[in-house]
Amino acid sequence: MAVTALSSTEQYNFDIVKKFSIMTMVWGVIAMTAGVYIASELAWPFLNFDIPYITFGRLRPVHTTSAIFGFGGSALFATSYYIVQRTCQSRLFSDGMASFTFWGWQAIVVLADISYMLGHTQSREYAEMEWPIDILIEIVWVTYLAVFVGTIMRRKQPHIYVANWFFLSFILATALLHTFNNLAVPVSLFSMKSYSLFSGVQDAMTEWWYGHNAVGFFLTAAFLGMMYYFVPKQAGRPIYSYRLSIVHFWALSFLYMWVGAHHLHWTALPDWTSTLAATFSIMLLLPSWGGMINGIMTLSGAWDKLRTDPIMRFLIVALSFYGMATFEGPLLALKDVNALSHYTDWTVGHVHSGTLGWVSMITFGSMYHMIPKLWDTKIWSQKLVGIHFWFASIGVLLYITAMWISGILQGLMWRAFDQYGNLQYSFVESVAAMHPFYAMRAIGGMFFLTGMVMMFVNVAMTIRQARGEAAELEAKMSAKMVKSGMAGA
Amino acid sequence: MSQEKLQSHTVQTTGHAWDGDLQEYNNPIPDWWLYAFYISVLAAVAYWFTYPAWPIGNGFTTGFDQITYVNDKGVTKTTHWNTRALLMHETNEAVAAQKPYFDKVAAMPFEQIAKNPELNSFVLSAGKQLFSDNCAACHQQGGGGKMDFAPNLTDDDWLYGGHYANIQQTITDGRHGYMPPFAEVLTDAQMTQLADYVLSLSHNAVNPESAKAGDVLFHSETAACYYCHGVDAKGRQAHGSANLTDSIWLWADVPDAKTIPLKEAAVKNVIRTGLNKGVMPSWKDRLSAEQIKLLTVYVHELGGGK
Repeated sequence: MAVTALSSTEQYNFDIVKKFSIMTMVWGVIAMTAGVYIASELAWPFLNFDIPYITFGRLRPVHTTSAIFGFGGSALFATSYYIVQRTCQSRLFSDGMASFTFWGWQAIVVLADISYMLGHTQSREYAEMEWPIDILIEIVWVTYLAVFVGTIMRRKQPHIYVANWFFLSFILATALLHTFNNLAVPVSLFSMKSYSLFSGVQDAMTEWWYGHNAVGFFLTAAFLGMMYYFVPKQAGRPIYSYRLSIVHFWALSFLYMWVGAHHLHWTALPDWTSTLAATFSIMLLLPSWGGMINGIMTLSGAWDKLRTDPIMRFLIVALSFYGMATFEGPLLALKDVNALSHYTDWTVGHVHSGTLGWVSMITFGSMYHMIPKLWDTKIWSQKLVGIHFWFASIGVLLYITAMWISGILQGLMWRAFDQYGNLQYSFVESVAAMHPFYAMRAIGGMFFLTGMVMMFVNVAMTIRQARGEAAELEAKMSAKMVKSGMAGA
Repeated sequence: MSQEKLQSHTVQTTGHAWDGDLQEYNNPIPDWWLYAFYISVLAAVAYWFTYPAWPIGNGFTTGFDQITYVNDKGVTKTTHWNTRALLMHETNEAVAAQKPYFDKVAAMPFEQIAKNPELNSFVLSAGKQLFSDNCAACHQQGGGGKMDFAPNLTDDDWLYGGHYANIQQTITDGRHGYMPPFAEVLTDAQMTQLADYVLSLSHNAVNPESAKAGDVLFHSETAACYYCHGVDAKGRQAHGSANLTDSIWLWADVPDAKTIPLKEAAVKNVIRTGLNKGVMPSWKDRLSAEQIKLLTVYVHELGGGK
């Protein structure tokens, strides 16, 4: 047993996967702490303390960047490097390049977070990093692409496993999106400030082409890749339908690219662009659900696992939230629904049912599966995994319920007319009405963060335990060797 | 169900295996999924035929849906559905619905508007919105004002007068309060005396000797406070100079100063540095004459109108 474990660590580069896994935990705690803090600032504004570095406007991109690129990004690097090696049966194309993606990526998120707190931003949502950081991202990302494609080309398997299609589409799409959305001219070589190459509505269009496809390829396709490996592995059953995976993969990849403009309904955007975005959003519903069906149906016949296996619970609840969020998305993309929902907390709730419910839950499940295997041990506390599941679930539910109520209330208050045809509420009245829901959202976030901290502790203890076991094993082996050596003498 | 289950077990895998045990069943795509997808495509096509959708050259397919609206020049137009026409159409309807009220407001004198129950309800409804959007940022929601920033509009103290005509003029043209600084004209001791006199007018227990000296100074040519604030210190609305006898403070935070020396310091600060910040912008370029008239009645009714 020890011999096979040894040979698989030689065969594969697990060191890089371990590093990214640890940083997934670290960024998870940082991102969610920042999230809870800014949610609290909205509920109790005194928490700004009049310190510019920690005001909502500067901490918000710290939260989103740490969550998407720190937590989500590290999780994707970790799992994609793990999956591509195991399903191609070949070691990563280059250890040095993989290591560069690790240090480069961590530097990017750290630099981005610090620069936001100091007040530097491109003012492009989810692409707030200024140009020097953007260039670093470009270099790291191309290296990632080279490592991933290089590994696939060295595969000892004739077929490329479905998870890898999703990872590859994510890497390619992200490269494309990042490059074109960040075409900007720096004010000078020594200034952080830059101006976008595009102007007006074209600039907005470029940003939301990027913004929505960041959701589509970074937060969806890539995590579907994760799903396609860890769900069948954890369930111990084959993927439900190969044909469905092909059809929904291509439909998803093709349709996503068109829908970004639904973030700009009822603006200066041409009406035809708006319509196309809305209709492609509708057509995107079933391709999105293809992934959910394939994941959930994989478990059919082994449903009893949900009773006993908290990891399976994470994975299946993640898929359920994925299905729910991808149903809500096309709904919000309709112009008439959007007229009510846009600029309200409904959007925030929708995003978080995706990011907390889908992205985080699938990451938790996958990491709980993968981390003990990486360190060749068992999870430190299976019970704590179960408790984490409930904290995370309660957290998401509180969060999105608060934002649904708050968002719809906001939307209705803003458009309420009295009998004379005058607006019934002033804006500030709608702000005051949000308060209880902002408090509820912050509490939901605290639940979710508490779960994340439990996971951090559990993973740290698992690694410690693994080191202890390894040391013990080594001691036994050397004792054995001394003994046999003596016998030989 | 059990039959179905049995079936799915007999379905073959694709024959590939990865990482030991990773396999894929060769199940067909579920029918309901496929038909639902076709329906979503049909819905999209229907949408394309209704609204502007596909770009062609420099134009686009307009769709069959149409909208009729009246443009700025009063010309009725019918076009393919578009957001701008929709806005015009809905604005036309809203303006038409409110027109009778605005016409009456424009035609009636202030006092009659206030006495007419129906119009008064309209003024309260529209005025609240106009006030919230335009005035509340400084005068606060409800018009309570803010110390050292914007006057309270709910009391009966009016720097520029609280009659309808005064309020209307204030909103239309704006105001700019000014008091010269006295730092180079008066000594610190003199400013203390003046502050004590001013505080004594609103019954603060200051040193009577000092207040008396301040009284003399107030009415002297050295300080010449009476020029603007009047011999009785009750202010002049033509200048916007403050009434110093009514215990209402805007620029010197006397109510929050706990002790007499702190109150003195607050008043002296105004005397020393003067004031050049009581700026109310002019609204005539942003609001229509009817809106200003309506807002005048609304502000008048906040509590303090004369």
